[in-house]
Amino acid sequence: MISKRFGFAGVIAAAALAVSTLVVPTASATTEIVVWADETRGPNLTKVIAAKGDWVPGYTIKIVTFSSYSALGAALDKATGTTGPDIFVGGNDWVVASAKSGKLAPVTLTASQKAQFTSSQLYDLTYAGKLYGVPLDINNVGMIYNTKLVTTAPKSFGDMVDFYKANKTKLSLKNGLCVTGGGMSWGALSVFSALGADPYLMTGRGKVDTARGFNPTTFGTNMKKYLIDPATGKSNGFWASSNTTCNDDFYSGKVPYSIIGNWEWKTYVDKGFAMNLQPVPSVKGGYGHMFGSVSGAFLTSFADKHGVAVGAKSLLVNFFASTAGQVAYEKIEGRPPAAKGAQADPTVSDAQKGFGVAASQAGIPQIGAILDNKAGGSNYWDSSSDYWTQTLINGKDATVEARKLAAIWRANVTAAQSLL
Amino acid sequence: MRGKFALIAKIVFLGFTTAILALLTESAFAQKQYVIGGFILVAALALNIVYLTSISVPFKFFLPGILFFIAFVIAPIFFTVQMSGFKYQTGNYIDKATALEQVISLGAQPDAQGTTFDITVGRNSSNEFAILVSDIANNKYFVSTPTQRVDVPAASATFNEYGVAIKAPNFNAMSADALAANDAYSKIRYKYEGDYYIAIESQNAGGVFRQELTYSAKTGVLTNIFTGATYVDNHRGNFAKVGDPTVLLSPGWRAPIWFENYSRLVTDQKVRTPLIRVFLWTFFFALFSVLSTFALGLILAMSLNRPIRGRRIYRSILILPYAMPSVMSILIWAGMFDSDFGAVNSILHTNIHWLQNPSLARSIVLLVNLWLGFPYFYLICSGSLQAIPNELLEAAAIDGANPRQVFRKITLPLLLQILSPLLIASFAFNFNNFNLIYLLTGGGPTQTLNGEIAGATDILISYTYKIAFGTNFQDFGLASAISVIIFLIVASISMYGLRRSKVMESFG
Amino acid sequence: MNKWVRENLWRHSIAIATCLFSLFPLYLVILSSLKTSGSLQVGSFIPHEVSLDNFRFLFHSPKTPYVLWFKNSLVIASTVALSSVFIGAASAFAFSRLKFKGKKLGIRLLLLVQMFPAVLAISAVYVIMERVYTFAPNIGLGSQGGLILVYLGGSMGVNIWLLKGFVDSIPVELDEAAKIDGASPVQTYWLIFLPLATPVLAVVCLLSFIGTFNEFILARLFLVEMNGRTIAVGLQQFIGGQYASNWGPFAAGSILASIPIVIIFLSLQRFIVNGLTAGSVKG
Repeated sequence: MISKRFGFAGVIAAAALAVSTLVVPTASATTEIVVWADETRGPNLTKVIAAKGDWVPGYTIKIVTFSSYSALGAALDKATGTTGPDIFVGGNDWVVASAKSGKLAPVTLTASQKAQFTSSQLYDLTYAGKLYGVPLDINNVGMIYNTKLVTTAPKSFGDMVDFYKANKTKLSLKNGLCVTGGGMSWGALSVFSALGADPYLMTGRGKVDTARGFNPTTFGTNMKKYLIDPATGKSNGFWASSNTTCNDDFYSGKVPYSIIGNWEWKTYVDKGFAMNLQPVPSVKGGYGHMFGSVSGAFLTSFADKHGVAVGAKSLLVNFFASTAGQVAYEKIEGRPPAAKGAQADPTVSDAQKGFGVAASQAGIPQIGAILDNKAGGSNYWDSSSDYWTQTLINGKDATVEARKLAAIWRANVTAAQSLL
Repeated sequence: MRGKFALIAKIVFLGFTTAILALLTESAFAQKQYVIGGFILVAALALNIVYLTSISVPFKFFLPGILFFIAFVIAPIFFTVQMSGFKYQTGNYIDKATALEQVISLGAQPDAQGTTFDITVGRNSSNEFAILVSDIANNKYFVSTPTQRVDVPAASATFNEYGVAIKAPNFNAMSADALAANDAYSKIRYKYEGDYYIAIESQNAGGVFRQELTYSAKTGVLTNIFTGATYVDNHRGNFAKVGDPTVLLSPGWRAPIWFENYSRLVTDQKVRTPLIRVFLWTFFFALFSVLSTFALGLILAMSLNRPIRGRRIYRSILILPYAMPSVMSILIWAGMFDSDFGAVNSILHTNIHWLQNPSLARSIVLLVNLWLGFPYFYLICSGSLQAIPNELLEAAAIDGANPRQVFRKITLPLLLQILSPLLIASFAFNFNNFNLIYLLTGGGPTQTLNGEIAGATDILISYTYKIAFGTNFQDFGLASAISVIIFLIVASISMYGLRRSKVMESFG
Repeated sequence: MNKWVRENLWRHSIAIATCLFSLFPLYLVILSSLKTSGSLQVGSFIPHEVSLDNFRFLFHSPKTPYVLWFKNSLVIASTVALSSVFIGAASAFAFSRLKFKGKKLGIRLLLLVQMFPAVLAISAVYVIMERVYTFAPNIGLGSQGGLILVYLGGSMGVNIWLLKGFVDSIPVELDEAAKIDGASPVQTYWLIFLPLATPVLAVVCLLSFIGTFNEFILARLFLVEMNGRTIAVGLQQFIGGQYASNWGPFAAGSILASIPIVIIFLSLQRFIVNGLTAGSVKG
């Protein structure tokens, strides 16, 4: 009986093997460049590539869109050369960790390609002296005032606080100033600067001015003058320590000033608001007071394993870093393009240009080695938002806490110098 | 008749499965995935042996389950345990061979000016790969191969509209398709001047580099031939400079450091301090969650243990939290407690920063977990209450015990005995209740200004996740070590509990 | 009246209070899905605006092939639920009824392994499936097939454990009678046990279905293609952005997704109660 069963199965298994030899895939040289992107950039890149796909002769381009930016990050954490991307599009803060871990490969731009970008944009995508990608779009925030409430641009931080105090009850304001885009760390940096902290003053390319950076005394005094209610020792309500409904409140006229991100201007324009962009008042003009970084398209070390390194590099310069490519893409993506040629293009909107100008004037490159450093006990992102919580909500002394913050950041900067 | 049908069905099904697995094995081997291919092959053989012979009856029942269990549960656990003995973190992520390859290729430095040229790729007259280089600024043109560089007089070359030479004597440009099909040409270093060579930087650009780092496979030493600096394997996953071991070349690789990740848990104060705090909170959180959900579930079950009016409606509403997708409900709770504008504050007319205050945030975590978990115990308890023989309770009542005494002396001990495995399982589940913490508070608030590293509501598993995936510096090795420790803790607590409740006896 | 108050009032008060506690957040989700703005915050209990914009967006925006996602979720979750119960029931039966060497060890191992924190295993699963992709793209990384396999593997332990409890609760006399009649264990399993256990199998199936329906951490790594996503992954795009979150469509989409589950749950509640307790009572 048993042998009979074996007979049956043997026949079928043999047949299966015969079939299988016919279906085994044959390896062929790939000429497909795979690009990973997030939920907003992915669909737009797909459209642009669908409209014109011959950016790199001899190669085809495949855009893989992840369900969210965090899903893209999670996949990149785990990706290996087996199925990883050749290029991915994302924030500059991914450069340090990815390059250090050997997931990125350096690119070399020609002089004319480099001339399309500012040195701090390129610096954003550099680790240990090598450039790992090309700047695609600018990431920054700007302040707008609510035309439903205010008619003229505020001149100073004090102006805004006065307006808030005078109209708080009359207009039932929820806050004076809040952040809709960028969160309480990144989006709020310019408030640190406006109040005199200037946490990251730059003296040159990638050099943080440690001697002058973060002045806790001036900053603490200004905190108490503008943001703290002397009666309670906590927030006077002007500056929202966190406001997840900031955009709603702005739309409905309950917040006069708002820091918005350059990826969301269109929503505001659609709702009838003017893009009266400006830095947070009292932020000194010139270089080094506000964040203005770029997102980039990065070359992975996987591309070489896939045999498409040249194709991927060519896609970076022919499309991602080129005026033509950025114009075509930003027309639908709506962020400020990074390339100077693209910024000058007539199809780029005034709002896009406005953010672009703001970023090029007042940009602090976001150097991952500095901002992500934890030598002082915590990185920039966690400690800056904790400062607002401790002072505005928990009522701790603004100057004392500012000293702690300054100490943490100085330690981080010092430790980062060796990594730059 | 039925037996014959079953036999045929079995053989066909088995044959079909074998065919698929055989196909997979073959393709796996074709792609050099030997471990996975081997596993599939063994699986195919095992299936055939077990189902075609009578070697082992239990295995006829177990085998499919075991195969899945090994592939997707045991193997990943094995991997985690293994990685806990490695330096596996940001900067030490890839294997050594790849890392070395990359260190060497990063050791190619551009010349001081970062010179780049427009190039055209093709072959020379002896059919070797060659590039036609246009140094437009200096009006110089040449054809380079790895071994020689031949100047091309401008007069003899043909140019495109950008002034780039595209044709020259003894040089045949290749089509883009031909270049894309085989990128061997891009790995070649084309001759330039002295130590410097031209490397392909894109389809029509090349950059000038020189190789500064060289590797000797014999001695395992990397040498910068211009500065004379040497680098050796520090046996901790990096090449370190001889004389100054703090200077490391990146990228590094995953290197075995045996028990160092474990010893760091005790010796490294930055690891130890938050870990102890997180552990205490995790333990309290899991214990309180079990007790509170059980208590509320039991109270409800007792209240609704008799057919009062509206019982069905109550029950339908009460199990809603259990039926709702928890991802959504946790996020909703987070929104409700959102500092300034959450529903809770606006209903209470308060302005409390629920999730920014450590104690409040912890209370909220416990409250939300109560909401999520009580329906389960309500369902279980109401079923179990019905299982307690009525005679027992009636007898007690006749003996003059009041309801409270009946509950304390009879109902509760019985229930606890019946439900102890579920209570322990619930404890183990909550000990690792990642979703709740991750989605509700993200582990926060973290008082970083006071030097805190872990958040107030971080439990071990969410803290481990942060270490492994959370920030820009990820330490997978350390996280693996913590996972192993968590496992040991949970497993021993559960085993102890189960043994005490004598459940294990019934396993025999 | 007095007696009623004494005996039943406290029952109703406790029940009503807990019902309010249950309903409170659910009511707020519905409110927030009816708002036009993108936040999850609801300032008041009375809806100030009732707008179906979020729902309309789900069905009309090309960014959200919601119906397709729904279908994917159903297909994946039901495949996983049915197969895992089918495979798991056999193992549970063996653990519960058969006598063999190493049984005790096997059960302990099964229980212990489940206590290993699975969060880090994601990386290993990723690498395994990435390799599978190289030779069998349809069951490797990025495919629904691959995700189903991973879910099956992951659910095996829990389901065997749960099912074992249920099997234990089925009187042994029944299959012993069959044994006397000369039936082999395999026949007993197919002819006696499976028909008897159908209700409990259905319950485990349902729990497994819900668990799979909810999962997003693995799914977001596997289901990258827009049209291949499940609801849990698809709705991620509204809340996992680089800088901003849009809660409105997320709330609307989640409500729609949970309606069928809640309906199944409520209509089968008696069944579920019996099933859950059956497993526990016998211990």
